Amino acid sequence: MRSACYKFFSLTLVLNIGMGSALADNPVHHNGVSSVNDPYVQAMEREVEIRTIFQTDERPTEDNILRQRISYGFSLNDRVFLEAYVIGTRLPDQSFELEGYEIESKIQLTEQGEYNTDWGVIFEYERQISESIAELATVLVASRQWGDWVGTLNLGLEYEFGSNIEDELDRFASAQWRYRFREAFEPGIEFYADEFTRGIGPVLTGVIRGNGKNKWHWEAGLIAPLNDTTPDQSFRFLLEWEF
Amino acid sequence: MKFANVLKTLRHSLVRASCLLLLFALASTASAQTPVFEIEIREHLFFPAEFEIPANQKVKLIIYNRDPTPEEFESYELNREKVIVGNSQGVVFIGPLKPGEYPFFGEFNLKTALGKIIVK
Repeated sequence: MRSACYKFFSLTLVLNIGMGSALADNPVHHNGVSSVNDPYVQAMEREVEIRTIFQTDERPTEDNILRQRISYGFSLNDRVFLEAYVIGTRLPDQSFELEGYEIESKIQLTEQGEYNTDWGVIFEYERQISESIAELATVLVASRQWGDWVGTLNLGLEYEFGSNIEDELDRFASAQWRYRFREAFEPGIEFYADEFTRGIGPVLTGVIRGNGKNKWHWEAGLIAPLNDTTPDQSFRFLLEWEF
Repeated sequence: MKFANVLKTLRHSLVRASCLLLLFALASTASAQTPVFEIEIREHLFFPAEFEIPANQKVKLIIYNRDPTPEEFESYELNREKVIVGNSQGVVFIGPLKPGEYPFFGEFNLKTALGKIIVK
């Protein structure tokens, strides 16, 4: 078990090598904390998701920033899941505004448990509303179980383009190491890395069952910085209603 | 950003990602001799509702849903969930498991669709 844990976290740490740390203009884009995706798709799946990131920092321009994403998603079959997000932000001393939208497609590549590692891939398109900035991203998703522990790794490559931004190719990664304690309560740890972000911190997740197909999946985490450009605290919360 | 720089970044990213994924997927191979077990869903019941599988070995479950309505094979203990639409079949891989009893249920018919896998 110890060697497996070491191997999993080695992967995420190796990824740090070579990532830049220059600052862009929009402070929202400095924080890569979001969520860690699993590779699984269920047939007839429908869900509504609310995702909140709130960050605080000693730098006034990076402090008190709220990001909110609301989405609706559904599966086409037992392999493909489509999801559309509306994204809003509140910058320091400003009111909450609609920032952009995102369309996402997740494809489950292997059956859960078929191989030692389960695989999936996610394609994303995100577009800002007020500026000509867009992103195309591909994320490779891997998940593996070691007894009561589950490790999930997301490796992404994104291309930013538009007339309000210099075209750029960026890499990002996130990882989660979670203990399957109870269905409604699973503690874990998460790691995030991108052009600006290096963050790590505890996370709690769980599933609460309702009647019939109704299910609520929740996640809450607190990510602390590992470098100077990551906000001092990033609180993240996710609530997903599956029906 | 110059096209050459994009290509350079892309090349470096692919090499790095390939190395990481190679490490992560070590021993990520399916067994060629995975035992197969079959169960059926009929009138919101599992048949058989209890069955034995070998310990410390991966097994493949083929679940036939004979009902016209969908069912979700689910088990927190097995860490598996699989929706099987009506009049179709689904595949679930489980294990390797330690000896013990692992309950499963049909999420869309919680009162009737109940079962247990006994690992020996």
